[in-house]
Amino acid sequence: MLRTIIAGLRARTARLVLSSVAIALGVAFVTGTLVLGDAMNASLRDEFAKGARNVDVSVTVSGDSSDVDGISPETLAAIRQAPGVAGADPRGSQAVPVLTANGKAKPAWAVSLPTNEKLREFDLADGRYPTSADEIAVDKRTAATAKLTIGQPVVLLGKEEKRHTYTLVGTYQQGTNTMSLSGYDHVGLTPEAFQALEPERPPYQVVATAAAGFTQQQVVDNVRKAIDAKAFTVQSGEELTQETLARVESQSGEFTALLLAFALIALVVAAMVIYNTFTILVAQRTRELALMRCVGASRGQVFRGVLAEALVMGLTASVIGLFGGIGVSALLQRVILSFGGAGEGVVYLPVSVTTVLAAFAVGTLVTVLAAVLPARKATRVAPVAALRSQPDSGEEVARTGVVRALTAVLFTVIGVGAVVFGMSMDDEDAAMVVSGAGTMALLAAVLVLGPLLVGPVNRVLGVLPRALFGVPAKLASANAGRNPKRTAATTAALMIGVTIVALVTVVANSAKETANAQIDERMPADYTVTSSVYDRPLPKELATQLAAVPEVAKVAPTTVVYGEREYLTGIPRDAIGDLFRPTVTSGSLADLVDGTVAVNADYVKRRNVSVGSMLTIRPEKGEEQQLKVVAVIEGQRLSDGVMTMETSQRFPQAAEGYDSILVKLKDGVANGRAAVERVTDPSPLALLDSAAETKEQLNQQLNQVLTFIWALIGLAVLIALFGIANTLTLSVLERTRESALLRALGLTRGQLRLMLVIESVLMALMGAAIGLLLGIGFGWVITEALSTDTISVDLIVPFGQIGVMLAGAVVAAVVAAALPARRAARTSVVAGMAEA
Amino acid sequence: MSALVSDVGTRTAVAAEDLVKVYGKGDTAVRALDGVSVTFQAGRFTAIMGPSGSGKSTLMHCLAGLDNVDGGKVHVGGTEITALGDKDLTKLRRDRVGFVFQAFNLLPTLTAEANILLGLELAGRKPDREWFDTIVDVLGLRDRLKHKPSELSGGQQQRVACARALVARPDVVFADEPTGNLDSRSGAEVLDFLRMSVRKLGQTVIMVTHDPVAASYADRVVLLADGRPAGEIDSPTTDSVLSALKHLGA
Ligand SMILES: Nc1ncnc2c1ncn2[C@@H]1O[C@H](COP(=O)(O)OP(=O)(O)OP(=O)(O)O)[C@@H](O)[C@H]1O
Ligand SMILES: [Mg+2]
Repeated sequence: MLRTIIAGLRARTARLVLSSVAIALGVAFVTGTLVLGDAMNASLRDEFAKGARNVDVSVTVSGDSSDVDGISPETLAAIRQAPGVAGADPRGSQAVPVLTANGKAKPAWAVSLPTNEKLREFDLADGRYPTSADEIAVDKRTAATAKLTIGQPVVLLGKEEKRHTYTLVGTYQQGTNTMSLSGYDHVGLTPEAFQALEPERPPYQVVATAAAGFTQQQVVDNVRKAIDAKAFTVQSGEELTQETLARVESQSGEFTALLLAFALIALVVAAMVIYNTFTILVAQRTRELALMRCVGASRGQVFRGVLAEALVMGLTASVIGLFGGIGVSALLQRVILSFGGAGEGVVYLPVSVTTVLAAFAVGTLVTVLAAVLPARKATRVAPVAALRSQPDSGEEVARTGVVRALTAVLFTVIGVGAVVFGMSMDDEDAAMVVSGAGTMALLAAVLVLGPLLVGPVNRVLGVLPRALFGVPAKLASANAGRNPKRTAATTAALMIGVTIVALVTVVANSAKETANAQIDERMPADYTVTSSVYDRPLPKELATQLAAVPEVAKVAPTTVVYGEREYLTGIPRDAIGDLFRPTVTSGSLADLVDGTVAVNADYVKRRNVSVGSMLTIRPEKGEEQQLKVVAVIEGQRLSDGVMTMETSQRFPQAAEGYDSILVKLKDGVANGRAAVERVTDPSPLALLDSAAETKEQLNQQLNQVLTFIWALIGLAVLIALFGIANTLTLSVLERTRESALLRALGLTRGQLRLMLVIESVLMALMGAAIGLLLGIGFGWVITEALSTDTISVDLIVPFGQIGVMLAGAVVAAVVAAALPARRAARTSVVAGMAEA
Repeated sequence: MSALVSDVGTRTAVAAEDLVKVYGKGDTAVRALDGVSVTFQAGRFTAIMGPSGSGKSTLMHCLAGLDNVDGGKVHVGGTEITALGDKDLTKLRRDRVGFVFQAFNLLPTLTAEANILLGLELAGRKPDREWFDTIVDVLGLRDRLKHKPSELSGGQQQRVACARALVARPDVVFADEPTGNLDSRSGAEVLDFLRMSVRKLGQTVIMVTHDPVAASYADRVVLLADGRPAGEIDSPTTDSVLSALKHLGA
């Protein structure tokens, strides 16, 4: 038996190699994901290990003590004097904008750099560490992006736009810690300079390093004795490390989970392709297997023979996939690093035992499992099948199983139920999860129904090619529909991929359009001036200065007030109806006077208020205020409602400064922008935006995310296309005689190739078309689920991108058909007829 | 050669001149056809016979332009097909040649009717409805037209193949052991039809066969042995064919 298996593997090398590619790709994706996840953990761990290195004691303000709000200089001195403490320094960070070379503010984190060399978390890249309060070091990347060079002054923008100037003395490598992952800029100061930025807030943490001859525990005990142990938490360096690592892992775990979800999709797709391949291989070998049964092979031997073949294939593909996956991971890390903007960084490639096991489990187990059903089918081949003249593997023409229909109905009921329930939920996160699960159940229903859908869909899709290409198209369409189960299994893989791509694309585009619409409504003016740093409002003089510009027709500042459950905009009375024009659905804006508010229709629904109700606004700072609702408005998504500028001044937050300033130019002025810029340029916070620019920025970000997801799903789609090429190649081999007959009857080589290409395109379109319909439908479900609350997300179907997907499917199908078509056309008629 | 060419177009449907076909190279080379010259008259039913491995199928493939030759020439209806490229050969097969093979004659995806009309459709020609009806009725396929090949018996499948070969009114129909897989009654039906299509409809049929009974339906038998012509029998009977074969040592 072993010899027969080996001979079989040899004889079918080409087919098996092709099938192995699908498995190897699946394995590559899964291992790639795992390696990437481990790599992120390793790099984060490395970074945090840097933060905890040489720290033997950490003192933090204990959470339940409210009377101590920081570590006083006295406490710090006490820690420093505790026996065994070689050095101690406060640690802290705060958001402080830094001015770039062109004088504009840029959000950044300032950190306090330890004076004790051993306690420094960052490695110096260039220059030296600051030693006096007027010196500063900046992160290498920040220095590059903000165009700061050593020796130059660096300005940080403190509270109330107070400028703090330092001399840049060095750069350091921040590496890949949490902040650098989110792309934050980073500057370092001496502890005194750091404290001076916000004198009223004492440090929250002090770390200390032990002197030689002291154990961590001894120093911890000594520090505990030296300070008021109740007000502070004293941890050993070991404990600090453990705590940080736990936090790191839960953070990067989320990302790994996301990647694994994509890997799972790739895996399901790969498993379907493998299953399909084996089914076809077994069907084609009906005769051979029957012959073996004729000469005395037992059912068990045939079964084991097919499984052994799968095992060999799975093992080989797993090894190839494992190495491929490591490559994929290196590639993904490069992509992620380049998104961070750094373009540099270390690529980690940790290969854990779990990864290796997963690779073999996926590659070998899935392959063997996928082969079990076909192998069972092989055992049912009757010995007489060897003697039948016309072996047609179309024997498994869809039995319209009752089980199949019932399963589909079950999935549909579950799916529809979950979707409807999800859409009626208030919490949009939960709604999305429930509706999302519902859509996946519906996808399963369609998958189960697949073989029944092939016929009708094939007929519809075949109409155009038949009209265009005549006989070859007619034959192709008949071929695509001849074995519905096989076609369904082949196209299912692609369908899953396309469904998910379409779903993500539709949702992302809907979100993008919704955001764009918001921007349009937020920016009715020609230009909008906003603050470049979150929670630093614009100075009020700016509005006055802008109003004085001759080219400017009108200026309207806005303020923002955050309540517990809403946020409201303050706008001058005279801008309403001019720069601010909402549609009033009830009440009147004429009544919008001091102490009143006009709220959005959405908000009315959400909070169940109406004209005449009293709203209680509880701001973060200051006292709560009662406001009377005088109108319900629509068509502005600025916020949940508007009030007059005077009303908003009751809230300390709005009194600090403006959230934005709307600028309308006089009709027909040239160089309006330049005129406005003369005022905004000197102001470090002021960012001049037109709606178009803001949209552009936002769209760029969304497109980046979308590209990343397209790339991830792209692999699943690639595997699916391999599945089509695979099926087609196997079908061509199976139909050698048929092709020869057609050639004998007068089908030209070109027509034969065309026939196979059309067959491939039909299969790809079947998968893509159903996938697109499902994806768009599911996209609608998700946008509905998302829009239950604050904002309504409108369904936007990106026809351009969908067209690209369809065109891509067609092109890929043509490519997939290239080799099989070449092969079929090259076979001579006589040789084809001689094929058994 | 000139004598042969002048013949072509008047009475000769297919002619082979000094045909050579070699399979393989060097020591293992097999001369499947070793200088075969033979003509087939239009409007006649010719059988090619000979021992197994004598080159019958090879000769037929070369005559029909399904395979290329290593020497010599083949004319079909006045055209030298040995000089044609794949495109023109394909066109020739569409328009001027019909085929009936031993098995796997039909496309499993098409109905009997679609199979019969497939050649015409490939050629982009409109079927002659009257002619189609005649053939279908003569072959008794009227009530089987909507069936797929898998729903037809072996004899019915071969009759569908015959109908397809004839419906385009080709210059010549080639049949390679068309009755090889059939019982004697179904075989007789197919042979009767082929003979009738020659006698009554003026077709030209060239058939490869092993079976002396089948050969007796033909007007003439061409004998092959070891890739060379080995005599002819006009107006053959089962007995005359049997004795000729015995003489060849088959
Ligand atoms: N593709 C091939 N490669 C090598 N040799 C071949 C090939 N096809 C045929 N032959 C050889 O050419 C010779 C003629 O073969 P052919 O098939 O024409 O015989 P045949 O008369 O049709 O035999 P049968 O009655 O068994 O069908 C044989 O010796 C055969 O072995
Ligand atoms: Mg033969």
